[in-house]
Amino acid sequence: MLVETAPGPATAAGPGPLLTKPPSGPPVAAKAPAGSRWWVRVRPYLYLLPAVAGLVLWVYRPLVQTVEWSFYDWNLLPTTPKRWVGLDNYSDIAALPEMRQAVVNTGWYVLGLLPFAVAIPMVIALLSRKVGGRARGFYQALVFVPMLVTPVATAAIWRWMMQPDGIINQALGTIGVDPGNWFRNSPTAIIAIILITGWQITGFAVLIFAAGLAGIDGEYDQAAALDGASRWRILRTITLPLLSPTVLFMTLMTVLLSAQWTFALLDLLTQGGPSGTTMNIYYLLYRFGFSSFDVGYASAASVAFFAAFGVLAAGMLTLMRRFSFYDN
Amino acid sequence: MLILEDLPLSTPPTGAGAAETRSIATGPRPADRSAEHGRDAAWSEPALPRSSLARLLRPSWWRGIGGHVVLAVVGVLSAFPVYWMYATSVKPAQDVLDQSLVPTSFTFDNYSHVLATLPFGGMMLGTFVMAAAVAIGTVVTAVLASFALARWEFPSKRIIMLLIVCTWLVPAQATMLPNYVLISQLGLLETISAVVVPQVVSAVSVLMLFQHISAFPKELFDAATMDGRSAFNQLWTVLLPNLRPSIAAVAILAFISAWNEYFWPTMVMRQTDQLIQVGIRSFLTSEGNDWGALMAAAGLACLPVFALYLALQRQVVDAFVRSGLR
Repeated sequence: MLVETAPGPATAAGPGPLLTKPPSGPPVAAKAPAGSRWWVRVRPYLYLLPAVAGLVLWVYRPLVQTVEWSFYDWNLLPTTPKRWVGLDNYSDIAALPEMRQAVVNTGWYVLGLLPFAVAIPMVIALLSRKVGGRARGFYQALVFVPMLVTPVATAAIWRWMMQPDGIINQALGTIGVDPGNWFRNSPTAIIAIILITGWQITGFAVLIFAAGLAGIDGEYDQAAALDGASRWRILRTITLPLLSPTVLFMTLMTVLLSAQWTFALLDLLTQGGPSGTTMNIYYLLYRFGFSSFDVGYASAASVAFFAAFGVLAAGMLTLMRRFSFYDN
Repeated sequence: MLILEDLPLSTPPTGAGAAETRSIATGPRPADRSAEHGRDAAWSEPALPRSSLARLLRPSWWRGIGGHVVLAVVGVLSAFPVYWMYATSVKPAQDVLDQSLVPTSFTFDNYSHVLATLPFGGMMLGTFVMAAAVAIGTVVTAVLASFALARWEFPSKRIIMLLIVCTWLVPAQATMLPNYVLISQLGLLETISAVVVPQVVSAVSVLMLFQHISAFPKELFDAATMDGRSAFNQLWTVLLPNLRPSIAAVAILAFISAWNEYFWPTMVMRQTDQLIQVGIRSFLTSEGNDWGALMAAAGLACLPVFALYLALQRQVVDAFVRSGLR
C-alpha cells in the first residue's frame, strides 16, 4: 500500500529541500529518495492538519464526550463530581412527557416545512423557467433576501408584524379572521414559527430548484417535443425524474435541519411555549443543558437524536441512490 | 442580436418580409445561439409586449408572463418584511401603530435612541472582527486541506474525506456541552475568541474548494513540479490566482454565516455586549413594545450583510446555492 502510493518520479524530484537542485540527472535523482520520500509521504497530512485537527477538536471529541456524559449524572459545575448512572438517563428521558411532545412537534415542523422547502419552490421554479436575463437576476435578488436577515432581526420583524394589532392581523381582519396573539395561543404559535421559517427558506429553495433545472439538458425536452409529447408528459416523464435528486436532497435537508432552522426563533419568540406546544428536540435538549443544568439528560437526548437522524439520513441516502435518475 | 434573441425559434409568419430575414438569421447555427446568449442575455430576455397583437395571443407569451407574475409575487413576499422593518424604523412614534404602508413623515429619532441606548459601535466592530476572523480562518484551513486532498494520493485519504463529510451530520446542539466546558476551561468565556475558534474549520468550505481544485487541469501542477517548484510554491503561485472566485465565495459564505450565527454566540457570550446578536437580543426583551426603536436596531444589525449583498450579489447567491443549506 505504502509503496503503491509513493509518488511518481515527477513529484519526487520536486519538494522543498531540493529546490536549488543542480541540472538533474540520474545521480541526483538516486540520491534524493531517502529524505524526499519521507517528506512526500508526510506532506499531505501537514496540509490537512489544521482542518482535521479543528474538526476533531470541535466536532468529534465533543461527540465522544457527549456519549460518555450520557451515562453520568452531572450539573456542569467543575466542583461537583460526576456520578455514574448507567442507562438511567436514557430511560428517564424516554419516559418524560416533554420529550414525547418535542419529538411530535419536530415531526410537525418537518411536515409543515416540507411544502416551503420542496413543493412550493419546485412549482415556482418550473413556472418561471422561461424568465431570464436581467429580470431573473432582479427576482433572484429579492427572493434571496430572507436568508440574509440575521435571526434576531427576523424574530423582531415578525413579532412586530404578528402583534395583535400588527399588519398581519389587520390584513386578516379585513377578511374576518382574527388569530389573536399568535405566539401566546396553542395552534397559532407553531403555525407562526413554521410560516416564519418558511419565509426564510422558500426563496432559497427556489434558487436550488432553479439550479437543478438549469442542470437538465434541454435536448431531452426538444427530442420529446419533436416526437410529439405533450408538455405535461414531458414534465412528468423527463423533467421531474431528472429533478428527483434535488427533491430528495431538499427533503433530506428539511428532515435533518428543521429543528435547527427553528431553534433561534423558538429561543427568541416562544421559548417552546405556550405549554410546550412549540418545543422542538434541540431546544428541549438545550434547555436540559442550560436551564436545568442536567448534563446527563442533555447528553442522552443528544446521542439519541444523533443516532436517530443518522439512521434516517443513511436510509434516505440509500433511497436517493436507488431511486434517483441521473443524467449521464 | 436583440431581435434574434427575442423571437422563438419556430416563428409563425407574422409579417412576410420580416419573417424571412428572421428565419435566415435564426435558422442555421443553433450552436452560435448559445454562445451569443451569454453576451447578450442582459439585453434580450425581458419579454416586453411589442405592440403586436399576434404576440399577445400566443400561449408562449402568456407562459412567459406567468413566470414573471409568480416570481414577482414571491419576490414581494420575501422582501416585504425587510421593507416593513425599515419603514417602521423611520416613522415618528405616533405613526407607528397606524400601519400605513408608506411612511407619511420621516424621523431618525429611533436611530438616535438606539445609538444612545446600546453600545452599537462596539458591537458592530466586535461582530465584524469576529466574522472576518472566522472567514480568514476558514479560507486558510480549507485551502490547505482541499489542496492536499485534490493534489495527492495518500493512504487513509478516503477515511479523512469521510471524516470531513460526516461532520455535516453532527448538529451543534450535540456538541454544545463539551465545547462549552472546553471553552470555559481555556478561560475564553465571554470573549470573541470563544466564538471564533470553534468556527474556523468548515467542512462545507473544504468540500467546495476540493471540487474546484479537482476540476483543475493537472498539467498545470505537473509543469510546475517539473520546474522544480515546491508544493507550497505551487499552491501560492499556480492555485491561488486561479482559485480566487471560489475563495471569495467561501470567504463570503463564512463571513455571512458567522455574522448571522445565533446559537453559539448567545451561549458563550451571555453577559457582555460585544456582539450584535447578543446585544439586540437583550434589547428585544427589555424594550418590549418600542417597535420603532426595535426595528431601527434590527435594521442596523442587518446593514453590513445587506451592504455586502448589494456589492456582491451574484457571488453571495452562488456561494449559498453551491454550499446547500446550513
